[in-house]
Amino acid sequence: MDPETAKNLAAGLGMGLATLGPGIGIGYLTGRAAEAIARQPEASGDIRTAMIIGAGMTEALALYAFVIAIILLFVA
Amino acid sequence: MAAEEATSKVVEALHDLNVQTVVSIPKLGPFDFSITNAVIYLWISAAVVFLFFFIVAKRLRKEPEAMQTFAEILIGFARGHLTGQIGEKGRKYYYLILTIFVFILVTNLVGLIPKPFALKPYTPTANINVTFGMAIVVFLMTQFQGVKNHGVRGYMRSWLLPPGVPKAIGAPLNGIFFTVHVVGEMFRPLSLSVRLFGNTIAGHLVILVMLGLILEFSSAVVIIPAALFIIIMTAFEIFVAFIQAYIFSLLSVIYIEGAIYAGH
Repeated sequence: MDPETAKNLAAGLGMGLATLGPGIGIGYLTGRAAEAIARQPEASGDIRTAMIIGAGMTEALALYAFVIAIILLFVA
Repeated sequence: MAAEEATSKVVEALHDLNVQTVVSIPKLGPFDFSITNAVIYLWISAAVVFLFFFIVAKRLRKEPEAMQTFAEILIGFARGHLTGQIGEKGRKYYYLILTIFVFILVTNLVGLIPKPFALKPYTPTANINVTFGMAIVVFLMTQFQGVKNHGVRGYMRSWLLPPGVPKAIGAPLNGIFFTVHVVGEMFRPLSLSVRLFGNTIAGHLVILVMLGLILEFSSAVVIIPAALFIIIMTAFEIFVAFIQAYIFSLLSVIYIEGAIYAGH
């Protein structure tokens, strides 16, 4: 495999694999938040804030891989 | 169209990676102070934020009109979050948080205006330097608050185990605690900046991939769905601009809160 192919493969595969975990995580998080809001609609504001913070933190994991993919494709 | 040509056109259109120099200034050592379209868009957004609040402050009324109502919503939002998270102590940080929120919102949206001048459109927050700069400001503010509220020794001690743990167990554990805390503290600006940068640029890249598809296969079967997808993605990006500004300011509040109440 020549380096160029390896680079493209690594960027694509890495990005795809890195979205798996955060995808499951954010799905679970949003589902639980929806459940909590259904159970206690008066606390929906606090639940939403907590959910957005959690989603932001989880999403960052995929974004690290995204940045590395960009570095592989355009910089390295 | 040949694939090579289409690719080069996409790279050309990749405005967020493609900085255009407007006024070039010779390099000062490793620093390049040239004025690029990124810098100009940053200035524009700073001017928009400044003028908006300046004009609103100049014509404050008892019965607010549209602009004042919007400003009041923003200020109430920043204040509410600060007092909600930090309590009454947090009231004075709302200048910082409000500025962060509005500035990120404007910088996120300014690049979505399609080619207003001869300049290439550029979203300043799609540049890691801009987001990292803002994250460093938050980082410095956090450390400053920690030191101000607890003193250097007290702030450092808050990273260790609570007092009363036997020395034999405490000493090695404290070493681990301290290291983990320092690393965590160092990673915060990185994750803050990468989150904003990644979210902004990812939307642009998806749109560009779709543009690339249109250029590569010039047939209606591809163009119509791709064009529709581009429209939906652009709408989604406006939503993301708000969410990311919100997350950045909220996380800044939480970090500052952590420093103020360190050790609790």
